[in-house]
Amino acid sequence: MEATADVVVNASRLCFVDPFGMALLGATFHTIRNQGRSVQICGLSAEMGGYLERMDVFEGIELVDCAPMPMQRHNRGDSLVELTRLGARRDVDEASFRLAHAVVGHIPGINPDEPPDEMTGYTAFERLVEPVQYALNELLENALTHAKGHGFPDACVWVASQYYPRKGMIQLAVVDDGCGFLASLRNHPALRRESHIDAIFTALMPRISCNRDLGLSSESVNQGVGLTTTFRIAEQAGGRLVIASGDAIHDTVGRSYQLTEDNFWQGVAVAMECRRDRLPDIRFRDLLPPLDAQPVRRLRFE
Amino acid sequence: MITRSNFPLSKYAYGHLIGARATASSLREQVEVALAQGQEIVFDFSGVDATQSFIDELIGVLILSNGPEILDRLVFKSCSDNARAVIEFVAADRCDQFVKIHSH
Ligand SMILES: Nc1ncnc2c1ncn2[C@@H]1O[C@H](COP(=O)(O)OP(=O)(O)O)[C@@H](O)[C@H]1O
Ligand SMILES: [Mg+2]
Repeated sequence: MEATADVVVNASRLCFVDPFGMALLGATFHTIRNQGRSVQICGLSAEMGGYLERMDVFEGIELVDCAPMPMQRHNRGDSLVELTRLGARRDVDEASFRLAHAVVGHIPGINPDEPPDEMTGYTAFERLVEPVQYALNELLENALTHAKGHGFPDACVWVASQYYPRKGMIQLAVVDDGCGFLASLRNHPALRRESHIDAIFTALMPRISCNRDLGLSSESVNQGVGLTTTFRIAEQAGGRLVIASGDAIHDTVGRSYQLTEDNFWQGVAVAMECRRDRLPDIRFRDLLPPLDAQPVRRLRFE
Repeated sequence: MITRSNFPLSKYAYGHLIGARATASSLREQVEVALAQGQEIVFDFSGVDATQSFIDELIGVLILSNGPEILDRLVFKSCSDNARAVIEFVAADRCDQFVKIHSH
């Protein structure tokens, strides 16, 4: 694809897009338009067109020879969540909450408006939402801080999600167009080899952060357990993470590989899958890495 | 008598969770003022859980800048198991890091 030419996408054979694909498409279209180029999509089936249109994937895109049809909402209930783009850290809290709510959606037999459990103060619905909200918080925070470093101040993040009722699975995708893991961790002593795949592995290790040890002179400090925690949420809920950055892809329950020539993701793209019925059992204590040392101080809990 | 300054956290929560670091950094500035006046801080966790990022930005940073002794002046009230687990992790990890940095 020449970097100056307009882009024409032949979508006549497209029959399925998951949230990961949707977020990657949204980010790619945005990049192309920002370069002053236009995007045309042709041959899209009515069903795919209607679906993607409903998901807001086509912002500023010209559809040629396609007939987008409005999607019938009742088909998928409220588990449909439009593609969302965020650019500022202050949006992280609200967006994580809203998106987690939307994707957890309507569960037969569980009423979001039921009174909360007297002991815990939570409704059954809120127990499902919280781990998803937690994971989104960590991933969005990363994308709106780390990704903007090393010459990518305008990086944005795209979020898409969907619940698949037949499998009982939730998929979330958080995709940014920032600096990528390798740029962020290039000087970290734990990075064994200067490659994208090694950078992904390094970022997943507990207590690895680009600025854990810089001291308080830097703008912020981090603890380096956000990705580890997110991975454990997926794992405990019977799911996985798929992470792409640069020329590498890593599937936490499958294989990792290098993409072939010309295929490259500038930034970090994360897909998270989990079983919805396993979410209420997640306890934060089981997500955090074991402590290296005994606490040096008694904490005052009241 | 040492006066106590109370910080109810539920107003910062979305649903039951407080997540973002940015929320914690502005709150920490108020906490630092109260600490400088010699007060004890009571963090009231009634009805809320918090991410490790939030707790680290609030408490982890206080430990890194003041040392583990600062924990003697912080009280964690009405914590759920989830909130307690995160506070214990952050406090132990940042105390350990502080001790390692300052023993060199
Ligand atoms: N979206 C991203 N873009 C670039 N680098 C990232 C991104 N997410 C994470 N990283 C890198 O991976 C490291 C580990 O991430 P994480 O486990 O969330 O820890 P923390 O955010 O506390 O540093 C980060 O410090 C950063 O170097
Ligand atoms: Mg993080």
